[in-house]
Amino acid sequence: MKILVADDSKVMRQIVIRTLRQAGHGGHDIVEAENGRDALEKVQTEQPDLVLSDWNMPEMNGIDCLAALRASGSQVKFGFVTSEGSDEMRQRAAAAGALFLITKPFTPEAFDEALQGILG
Amino acid sequence: MSVAAPELTDVQAIVEQVWSSFLGEAEPLLPQPVPAGAPFPAEDAWSAAITVNGTDGGWSGMVTVELAEKVAFSLTAEMLGVEDVEDGDVADAVGELVNMIGGNIKSLMPGPSALSLPVVAAGRAAHSSEAVEVARFDGLWIGQPVRVSVHVTSIGEN
Repeated sequence: MKILVADDSKVMRQIVIRTLRQAGHGGHDIVEAENGRDALEKVQTEQPDLVLSDWNMPEMNGIDCLAALRASGSQVKFGFVTSEGSDEMRQRAAAAGALFLITKPFTPEAFDEALQGILG
Repeated sequence: MSVAAPELTDVQAIVEQVWSSFLGEAEPLLPQPVPAGAPFPAEDAWSAAITVNGTDGGWSGMVTVELAEKVAFSLTAEMLGVEDVEDGDVADAVGELVNMIGGNIKSLMPGPSALSLPVVAAGRAAHSSEAVEVARFDGLWIGQPVRVSVHVTSIGEN
């Protein structure tokens, strides 16, 4: 399986990748993107099975990236990893087609719970 | 006259959760009260700020993180899982820190609002004379000071 990790922070991308490993999901191919626009392009070129995306990013934010993906016909599995976990944000994420929203800071357990049934 | 503000206990809980999640429990973040108005007690510091911009009655405010330089470098190394870090890595890590704390504070306060991107600087934080400090957490990590403060610039009518 291939996972695209989109976050403008290199530090946070490293932490997400490390946490995937700690959650028992370390055996997947990882592709990184620096913002929503980069993620949008890499979904086309890399064909990941899952996108783990920050919300608040320069160039293009995560929710606009998800909307652009769906508008282009992509049904790639998509989940947010973001510092904003209010009900409003969760509703917007779900309405746009996100499968889950993990809030930062997170634990490996939160990743495992969100990814159960999504990752083989 | 009242000023809408997050509770200090909530700010402290958020900061402690960020610390324990990404920096482990080996070196705890210890609360260290500092008198109101006292400048950040470190000569060499890094700071980062993020704003919550409310619309239609949503809460607005600024969240600021100040760290002793040693804290900034150590937490960056810990977050990246490496020994040596460069200034660019520190700016990235400290920005992500204020993003996490700011995003969690935003979620506690009435919306609608939008979170800005973080701004990071080497040096202490400065606030305009209109900014009113409404919550502040001071702590020590690896024996060095850490400060998280919340400021608002407009006084609530309600």
